Amino acid sequence: MLETYLPMLFIFVIALTIGAVMFFGGQLIGPKNPTPEKMMPFECGNDSQGTAGVRLNVKFYLTAILFVVFDIEVVFIYPWAALFKSLGWTGFATMLAFIAALLIALAYCWKKGALEWES
Amino acid sequence: MTFDVVYGLSPLLVVALGALLLMLAEAFGKPNPQGLAPTGEVSDAGAGRAGELGMGAAVVLFVGAALSLGVWLAGPDNLVGLELTRPYLIWDRFTVFVCFTLCLGGGLSCLLAGGYLTEHEIDRAEFFPLVLFSTVGAMALAAAGELLTLFVALETMSLGVYALVGLRRTPRSSEAALKYFLLGSFAAALMLFGAALLYGATGRTDLAGIGQAIAAIGQGEGPGAAQVLIALVLVVVGLAFKVSAVPFHMWTPDAYEGAPTPATSYMAVAVKTAAFAVMVRVLLIAFGDERLTSWASGWPPVLATLAVASMTVANLVAGRQSSVKRMLAYSSIAHAGYALVAVVATIRSPAAEGSILFYLLTYTVSTAGAFGALILCGSRGKEAVSYEDLAGIAKRHPAAAMAFSLFLLSLAGVPPTAGFFGKLYVFQAAIDAELYVLTVVGLLNSLVGAYYYLRVIVFMYMREPAPGATLAVPMRSGYVASALVIAAVLVIALGVLPNVTLEWAAIATVGRS
Repeated sequence: MLETYLPMLFIFVIALTIGAVMFFGGQLIGPKNPTPEKMMPFECGNDSQGTAGVRLNVKFYLTAILFVVFDIEVVFIYPWAALFKSLGWTGFATMLAFIAALLIALAYCWKKGALEWES
Repeated sequence: MTFDVVYGLSPLLVVALGALLLMLAEAFGKPNPQGLAPTGEVSDAGAGRAGELGMGAAVVLFVGAALSLGVWLAGPDNLVGLELTRPYLIWDRFTVFVCFTLCLGGGLSCLLAGGYLTEHEIDRAEFFPLVLFSTVGAMALAAAGELLTLFVALETMSLGVYALVGLRRTPRSSEAALKYFLLGSFAAALMLFGAALLYGATGRTDLAGIGQAIAAIGQGEGPGAAQVLIALVLVVVGLAFKVSAVPFHMWTPDAYEGAPTPATSYMAVAVKTAAFAVMVRVLLIAFGDERLTSWASGWPPVLATLAVASMTVANLVAGRQSSVKRMLAYSSIAHAGYALVAVVATIRSPAAEGSILFYLLTYTVSTAGAFGALILCGSRGKEAVSYEDLAGIAKRHPAAAMAFSLFLLSLAGVPPTAGFFGKLYVFQAAIDAELYVLTVVGLLNSLVGAYYYLRVIVFMYMREPAPGATLAVPMRSGYVASALVIAAVLVIALGVLPNVTLEWAAIATVGRS
């Protein structure tokens, strides 16, 4: 069974070799002629300003979490929709219960002010 | 058919529904004027309403316990419709017994929180929905007969508890929550890896099917047998984390000490009970193969080592603590050790499963009671933390001291309390299974353990507080007091009349083939 994966191993080895040769080869034999522009971190557009560590508002995390929660809902609804007929009324009731639970969660978030950006 | 399912699963459904309603009640209820911030603004809708919400949560959980009792009396085997939930949820007598214990422990913790959160002005009434959701996870975990269900239930239970630990908003509490979260997720990842390997080796995800497939692999020398062994190790490590057995106990003292005390009580009681339930089921059903349950080539010696290490290390370290809460944390590790003795005994004694369930029940009422008494002994700013804080409390609050002594004696295993019979049946099962060394180690450890439990009683009754020390002032709370009364009645009832409960525990088996 393991022989099936032998090509994968070859790909790994080849990729690693090529990467290593390009990386270290450039360092070893490439000409070095540093100028201030070359020493700057590469970036498109204007010169970068400020420090790398930017403090993000904690609200973004809340939004992200809420997005994940309500996005996962769809993951469950798609397969249900695909099998809607064969699952019948039991499936319908199950999905209703699921959505009702989510609605309660939404009401909770709303009331708690999690959906307000300015506050 | 449908009725059978709804009635059978009613403890689970009621608690889940109660959690959702409590969430709404928490968010949409009218804030208590006493809970308002000093500036007069509403800091949180749940502010100052911990008492009433705690009462609601406790009622929901006690109803769950009563429904478990009802399902038990009706007999889960008679509810034919429950076959539908197999193999995902196995709703047998074993599960129903554990559900009762979980609801009881959760309900007591909620009552404690009703008093504690108000007193210490931790105005986060999210406590109660979190406890209820976590209990739903714990019940599903005890019932889980399939790897995916097991993992989802484990996470449902754990996620709620991670948040509960960090509820206090002090650096100590946050540190505890972070530690518990990181180590807990690590343990869950190990378990998931083990589950993946099991699926790879057997092609099944239901525990019974895995058990059959492992029996079929048998003595084979192929990659399957080795894979099963690695999976076994990973699953045992993951579960040992959850029951906090030495050497996977490092998070326990910190998490237990940093968490608000009712949350500590919930962790010590419900999380441990559910973890032991799932451990018994996984070990006996999935890894119940003759070869894996033999002393020479299976899990018994591993678990025996964990048991001896847990009992010995925890008892030795617990005696050296100056914080009573931390001492109780180590005590819960030691108790995990005693229960592990019974888990090992399941290999040869059919009565051992019942002894685990009975032990978990006695441990639940004693531990919830002990933490409750610790809560009652302190008030805001004057918490009872160290032994010195408790000095002379018998004179200032005789009732609290008496309740605390009762629960400590039960934890130490002094007759005629519940703890005595819990230990007795565990060691009896161990002797039945001819595990004499384990029994002797356990008995010696019980003696060592008595030292630090009695030390608290000595401080409460025979020491005078040091001059100028801040005295712990007992709080007044009907919620805490009622929780203590319920726990005390159960501790004494289980100690005086253990027979009925024990007969019930004896027929609650996981039904290994």
